[in-house]
Amino acid sequence: MDDRTVTDQATRKRFGAKTALLGAAGCVLLLFPLVAPNAYQVHIINTAGIYILISLGLNIAMGFAGQYNLAMGPLWGVGAYTAALLNTRLGIPLWLNLPASMVAAGLVGGIVGLPSMKVRSHYLAIVTIGLGEVINIVLVNAQGLTGGPDGISRIRMPTLFGFPLDSDKRYYYVILLAVVVGFLFARRILRHRVGRSFRAIRDDYQAAKAMGVNTAYYQILAFVVSAVYAGAAGALYAHLDTYISPDIFDFNSSLFILTMTLVGGMGSLVGSIVGALALPILQEYLRVIKNWQLVGYGVAIMVVVLFVPGGTMELVRRFRSSRLAGRLWARNPASGKVRVGETDVP
Amino acid sequence: MFLEIESLTMQFGGIYALKEVSLAVEQGEIHGLIGPNGSGKTTTFNVVSGYYKPTSGSIRFEGAGITGLPAHKITAAGFARTFQNLRLFSSMTVLDNVLVGMGHHAKTGLWREILNPAAVRREESRFVGDAIHLLELFGIAGLADHPATGLSYGEQRRVEIARALATKPKILLLDEPAAGLNEVESDELRGTLKSIRDSGVTILLIEHDMKLVMGVCDVITVLDYGRKIAEGPCESVSGDPVVIEAYLGKEDEP
Amino acid sequence: MNSGIFIQTIIGGLGIGSLYALIALGYSMVYRSMGLVNFAQGSIYMVGTYFGIIWYAGIVVGLRVPYPVALLIGILLNAMLGVVLERIFRPLAKLDLMFMLLGTIGLGFVLNNLFVIIFGAEGFAVKSPLPDTPIIVLGIRVLPQMLLLIGGAAALMTALQIFLKRGKLGVAMRASAMDHDIASAMGIPVNRMNALTLAIGSALAAAAGILAAPIVYVNPAMGSAIGLKGFAAAILGGFGSIPGAIVGGLLFGVLEAVSSGYISSSYTRGIAFIIMVLVLMIKPTGIVGETTVEKV
Repeated sequence: MDDRTVTDQATRKRFGAKTALLGAAGCVLLLFPLVAPNAYQVHIINTAGIYILISLGLNIAMGFAGQYNLAMGPLWGVGAYTAALLNTRLGIPLWLNLPASMVAAGLVGGIVGLPSMKVRSHYLAIVTIGLGEVINIVLVNAQGLTGGPDGISRIRMPTLFGFPLDSDKRYYYVILLAVVVGFLFARRILRHRVGRSFRAIRDDYQAAKAMGVNTAYYQILAFVVSAVYAGAAGALYAHLDTYISPDIFDFNSSLFILTMTLVGGMGSLVGSIVGALALPILQEYLRVIKNWQLVGYGVAIMVVVLFVPGGTMELVRRFRSSRLAGRLWARNPASGKVRVGETDVP
Repeated sequence: MFLEIESLTMQFGGIYALKEVSLAVEQGEIHGLIGPNGSGKTTTFNVVSGYYKPTSGSIRFEGAGITGLPAHKITAAGFARTFQNLRLFSSMTVLDNVLVGMGHHAKTGLWREILNPAAVRREESRFVGDAIHLLELFGIAGLADHPATGLSYGEQRRVEIARALATKPKILLLDEPAAGLNEVESDELRGTLKSIRDSGVTILLIEHDMKLVMGVCDVITVLDYGRKIAEGPCESVSGDPVVIEAYLGKEDEP
Repeated sequence: MNSGIFIQTIIGGLGIGSLYALIALGYSMVYRSMGLVNFAQGSIYMVGTYFGIIWYAGIVVGLRVPYPVALLIGILLNAMLGVVLERIFRPLAKLDLMFMLLGTIGLGFVLNNLFVIIFGAEGFAVKSPLPDTPIIVLGIRVLPQMLLLIGGAAALMTALQIFLKRGKLGVAMRASAMDHDIASAMGIPVNRMNALTLAIGSALAAAAGILAAPIVYVNPAMGSAIGLKGFAAAILGGFGSIPGAIVGGLLFGVLEAVSSGYISSSYTRGIAFIIMVLVLMIKPTGIVGETTVEKV
């Protein structure tokens, strides 16, 4: 038996374990609303699912392409308002509003990203913050269209072939599907040329240009893709909560999304899931100690930044490469060998 | 003429980094660009490869004007370059670094990635094959999966040249490729440069290592204070009193 | 157009602009000396305001001191806070911008919520030590406190310029900001210079807050919007430049006032931001910032 066969067997074994794990996770995810003690807990998970989508978007722009998109909150709002208006004014259901919101947010996101061709780093950060503020101000002040500070209420939850998805438990499956599709989509686009061009721009903007990467195109693309995620999340949010107002989509929400993405792990898609689940859930259950909770939240951010800048996913990596994990995990003997079509996109 | 630079002038806030520099590179030659520090060599590279827009002057490549085009279009026209300080993509493996260079030949874009994943996968495996082949030529195929910045200095230099070649250039602009290399590596580099040229890629080379320059270059252009002061085959340039003065004059200063 | 009202608008803009300028100075000075983009500056401004104004307004056990004394106490306490913050910022300054941003935002979060816990979320109005009735000169009506804010800010900025240009310490500070290695080789204690910079930046923010307190409303959230605008002002003028921070701050204030007076008061904030973005698109280094060629 040569090395090759050993490797294949090991790979197959790992593959089998992986499938089993995925299957188990799938069952848990599918059954969750049925076993959840009450609808409120499903509501929290639904909200977390919406945050996962936004965080995936931010991670693509910031973690992979290095573009400071600090307008994610307001872009999320663009999606939410598009869906809310189409639904309350024209009676269009979620299924059509979802793509419409993605297109609307994507377009606005492209505009927010235009300055990235001229300015970078903290200049880009303030420019996107500023443009995000402008979006928010429009939401507050264009009363005739957006309802002003009062927002829009009575957005209808969707039905599917006559079956109403009118509770958190039922809506859960819509969000689950969106998150799975969003995750797989992100993984796919980041795997090959697009992902490499993104990371090349993040690592070294000038060298990327020399390698023939059309930096302007990919920078704008990163903004558009992140905004499309925010747009989808907005439509889902509007139809779930049935009431939206501009204060939900302000700079603070951009910061919240930024924080969860960082806590999960910038540059790791799984990190986005971890961070976006952890933060809203923690926030929910620590509500009793309100302000001390927020102080702890600030301290936690600083600790993460100073000691584990890679977020939770870095902790996982550190654990995996530690000696303890070496004993628990059979390390892949083929590491060091080229795996065709596989890059380090998690 | 293959690459024709005509009376190129580059001004930074009143200071001339280049003044009326004209330069012609023939296809298939290794053309050395030398001069004391600050003489405008790297600026020439930066203008030619699209990083700076020249104050005046023109650049023609294979008969077409390319003055002031953005860098990625210059690369598409058939240019590739390396940088004085190593500029590998630090979060990527050696293989990915090379694959970035192949990217602009790819059909893969966002839409194809979604709509035709099978074709993308085929293209990807072809690219990976090409990239591995390229790395083999540089004797670093075994390092393909290693993080690029974890390599030794000499290895990183090789990755950078391999990455530049991955764009399949017609002309390669090398900015001090021997800097930081030891004697042995420098000798290897000489062989590498010659085989790159023999494979049909023209080279424009900035280098301070005179032994290397004299050993590989067919023609040498000498810059001083942003002006061209000499040009010709190695022997004639190295004996040129103006060139000697430029270098010695420089050394006289503290 | 009524020129009296126009001048009145400009004066109002200069008032709020000098507030932005004092905060922008904090951003720019710290960036210059430590390379740190300090997003907690808005919170530092809020803390400084409380540090001074609580003594004047008698929040703590009914203790009341005269306004100038409260101003001094606030400035001193906040300068001390700046010295403490240098320790926290030292490791942050070595990180990527993304992490600096989050680390300082995290710090701001801590400060904001600590103050909510201590003083409650709802704020209070502060009575001006000067008369509440506007002074009317040639038909232009201006609040005395507004004049105090403009005058106080002008005095502080002049003092800062003199300190940096003439003072031995100021020159050492500038040298340290230019090149840490050379400065420490020359025997300048770089960390202490950074601490001094943070102390001055925080002191200016405290002064701004206490001078503006009778015009704005004091609450623990007061720093977030103004912190953002101070940052925008610093960028508009040219990030890291001291004259840039002053020009950017005043300009941002005037832009806001003029657009709210003549275009639309509800879109005020937006118009100032849009102008900032446009300026950066034309001149990415800001108004006073030097045009630099990016190193390739």
